[in-house]
This record gives sequence, C-alpha cells and structure tokens, in this order.
Amino acid sequence: MEFLTAIFIQPFFDMVDDPVLFLQVIWEGFVTGILYSLIAFGFVLIFKASGVFNFAQGIMVVFAALTLVGLHENGVPAFIALPITIVVMYALAFSVERLVLRSLVNQPDIILFMATIGLTFFLIGFGEFIFGGEPKMMITEELLLPYDSITFFDDMLILQEIDIAASVIAVIALIILALFLGKTKIGIALRAVADDHQAALSVGVSLNTIWVVVWFISGIIALITGIMWGAKSDVSFALSIIAFKALPVLILGGFTSVPGAIVGGLIIGIGEKIGEFYWGHLVGGSIEGWLAYMIALVFLFFRPQGLFGEKIIERV
Amino acid sequence: MSAENNTGDVLLSVDHISLAFGGVKALTDINFEIRKKEIFAIIGPNGAGKTSMLNVINGFYHPQDGEIHFKGLHRKQMRPHEAAVQGIARTFQNVALFKGMSTLNNIMAGRNLKMKANLFWQALYYGPARKEEMENRKFVEDIIDFLEIQAIRRTPVGKLPYGLQKRVELGRALAMEPELLLLDEPMAGMNIEEKQDMCRFILDINEQYGTTIVLIEHDMGVVMDLSERLIVLDYGRKIAEGNPDEIRGNQAVIDAYLGVAHTN
Repeated sequence: MEFLTAIFIQPFFDMVDDPVLFLQVIWEGFVTGILYSLIAFGFVLIFKASGVFNFAQGIMVVFAALTLVGLHENGVPAFIALPITIVVMYALAFSVERLVLRSLVNQPDIILFMATIGLTFFLIGFGEFIFGGEPKMMITEELLLPYDSITFFDDMLILQEIDIAASVIAVIALIILALFLGKTKIGIALRAVADDHQAALSVGVSLNTIWVVVWFISGIIALITGIMWGAKSDVSFALSIIAFKALPVLILGGFTSVPGAIVGGLIIGIGEKIGEFYWGHLVGGSIEGWLAYMIALVFLFFRPQGLFGEKIIERV
Repeated sequence: MSAENNTGDVLLSVDHISLAFGGVKALTDINFEIRKKEIFAIIGPNGAGKTSMLNVINGFYHPQDGEIHFKGLHRKQMRPHEAAVQGIARTFQNVALFKGMSTLNNIMAGRNLKMKANLFWQALYYGPARKEEMENRKFVEDIIDFLEIQAIRRTPVGKLPYGLQKRVELGRALAMEPELLLLDEPMAGMNIEEKQDMCRFILDINEQYGTTIVLIEHDMGVVMDLSERLIVLDYGRKIAEGNPDEIRGNQAVIDAYLGVAHTN
C-alpha cells in the first residue's frame, strides 16, 4: 500500500507542494527536449528524402562541434571558425552524396543504413586523426554565448542563461526550417522526393541536389546541437550517444513528421526529467537513461506509426 | 487526325539505340523519328521493350549504344531531371503520384521548374514569390478545369479511384508545359467511359497546346484512332513502322500479336 502511494499519489503531492521546484524540473526537461527535437529533426529530414535512418547523425554532432573547437584551438578566431565549420559541413554533405549515396541509388534501405554506419566510423577516425581524441571545452565565451544564470522567486528558480540562449536559438532554427520546408521550392521538392522518387525525377526534381541540401541542413542542425550540448558538458565522442535519444523521440513523433520530431523531443525531454525527479528515487535513481526507451516501447504497442506519422495503407 | 497537323519538323530522333541489362537485351538497334505536334504510338506485346524505350527517352535508362537528338541537340547520358528541364514530361504505367498530397499540390509539384523566385522570398511568401505563386496557381487551376477534376481539388490523391489518379498524373505532366509528353498506358485499367474521356483529353492537349505526344497503349482501338504514326516493338526490336492502316495489314505485326505456328 505504501509503495502504491509512493507511485501514484506522493509525487503529485510533491508537485503541488513546491510548484517552483516543479517549474524548475519542467524547464530542465524543456531545455533537454528542445535539443532532442533538433537532433530528431535532422533524422527526419534525411529519412524523408532518402528513406534511410542516418546512423551517423550523432557523430555529425560531434564532428561539427569538434571542427569548430579544433579550429579555434589552432588559432582561428571563433567568428571565422564558425563559417569555416559551416563550409566543412557543406563539404561533408557534398562528399556523402557523391561518394556514398550516388553509387547506392536503388539499393535496399538496409544497404544505405549500413553505409551510414560506415560513415560513422569514418567520421570518428577522421575527427580523431585531425583534432585528437581527448575531450575539449566548447568555446562558449568566444561565441558570445551567455554563461550567467538568472534567478526568480528568491533564488528558488534558477535558469542558466546558456539554456535560455540554447532554447531561443533552437526555436528560431526550427521556425526557419519549418518555413523553408513548407514554403520554398526545395521544401516542396523534398516532400515530392519523400513520396515517390521516380515521379519526383519526372517533374524535374534533381535527387542529387535534394540529397546535398538535406545532408547540409542536417549538418547545420548537428552544428547547432553540438555547440549547445557541448556548452553543457564538453566536446567528446561520447556526445554522439545523445543521438540515440532521438530514437524514442522518432518513435513517438513518427519518422516522417517534422512537427512530430519537435513535440516528441519535448515529451521525451520533459518526461524523463519529471520521471527522474519524482519517481526515480523509488528504484534508486538514474532512470533518466532508460525511461525514454520505455516510453517509446509502450508507445509502440498502441500507436506504432507515431503521433503524427503517416499510417501506411496499401491498396491492393 | 491526319498529316496536315504535322509540320514535318523532327522533334526527337532515336538512332540505333540498344539497351541491355546484363545479358538481357531490352532494346536492339531501334530507330525512329518523332515529328513536332504529332501523336506517335509505340505498341507491342508485353515485355517488348515499350516502357524501356520511354525510360531511355526521359533519361531513366542510359542506352549502351546509339544516339538521341532532341530539338536538334545531341544527348547521350542524360538524367531525368535534365530531360524535364528540356521539356519532356511523362506519366507512368503504375501511377506514380505524391500520395500524401492533394490533387492541387500534385499538379503544383509539376510547376517545380517554373518557380524562379529566390528561396528567401519563397519562405516568407512575400514580394516576387507571392506574385509567382499566384501565376502558377492560375495555370494549375486552368489545367484542373481542362481535365474536369475541380471536385477533387483538395482530396489526397491516395484516396482517389484509379481512373482519376491517372487523370491527376496527366495534369501534373501538363503543368510542366512540356513539348514532348510521354504517356505510358494512360488507359490501362479504365472502363469505356473513362477511356473515352482520356482519349478526348489527349486529342485536346495535342490540338490546344500543340504538344507532341508519345503513347504506349494496349487497346488497339484507341491506338488506331488516336495516333498518326506508330512503331511496333517485339522482343526489343522494331518490327514495323507506319500509319495505322499500314500497321493493321502488316503480317509481321499480326504474327507478333497472335504468335506464329513454326512449321518445320
């Protein structure tokens, strides 16, 4: 009985009891969640355009952040290193299309998936070769990102300025991307490609261009995520693990849905923080690591296509 | 339809085209010419290489041998989107539409190449992009009226019956304002009424827009009524070429369709 109370009643009392603390937990969850959303967005883009789950998305986050920090370490000023990193991400997108995707057109999805695993290991090796394998500090200050904190309610609610900046930048990035995909010719072409490769080709969409564009956008998203996440921890290859958090996000939101990626990211981010804080102690803590996957698993039972995913109906 | 419709100028010429997949010869030494503003048919039994021929023309397949001249320009290795840029549009044997989108958006997708405003204005839907969108929208509405599909403007195409899907697909191809329109079995799986509608549309397109049309079709009645000239393929080879009357009486064609008793 006591145990049931601890699960079903006590946590909610705690929430009401200390609303400021609850707010703090939600905020922490929101900040994590918006970064999950960004990563998931990168996955969705590539999945829509080429039907492949890009295993390398996580390592692209690390690679982008590493390039930025590495350039700065070698004496390049931060505001020159940033555009150079963007150019590097473009070069990466271009090479992936030329060297990997183009020669694998019309191959089964699993082959493309394997290719992205290969790309992952290539990027790990390449990154280590150029910039070394030891963890680095993100150049937060040099990029003029704030690092103070603001407090409310007599210091009870503490918001890190970097978190606020991260959320604002992420939200702006998501809005720009949504506009870009919804309204522009490339956005419409991307939807066309996602629906039917052959038909898209026949109306004059160049698959090769679309692939470069989506990989480049994913690279930019990886860079933004890398900067923000790197500022919270440090820049190391372990960072690529966060990309796996995008998996439950995608299961929740649907692999093909952009709004799904955003909402899914927030649900997972906020859900795991609340779960950790109010329920985690019941099983000795640290449930943050796996709660997201449990949520996704439960979701799979009831809505396998995700919140916003398209239900695939085959007409025979 | 008769010869007065022809200007006689060659729009597309196919010279000695051969295409093989590994050891399988899909097309062997094919020659023909398509003249401006004509309706040209490609017929033949199943597996004769008709669709392969269309795929070669719009760049899906690259032939190992031979040359294609389009609008007088030589081309060998061409990608499908380049074909589209040059003014070749097509429909597919198994309807290939953007199933998640509405009829309107599918046809709008055909205007892809006509959108020129830069991405910045497009994203904001302002300035030149707005004007451009209106113009394209007007064009698409005209096509919708022309094909008499006003009622399904907003319907996701995945939900439409097959006959209407084919019509939307034709609309999307028309939206590209093509000079050469390739139709791969536009009437397959249709009932007689739908076929009659489709025939009317094809003739009207040819007359009103002056579009040159290449047609693959199994319904011989349709082919003989619509086309001015046709070629017959069998096992990847051209076995006959001519106007419908000549083809009707051609012994090789009759043999190909009915089979020949091989006597020793």
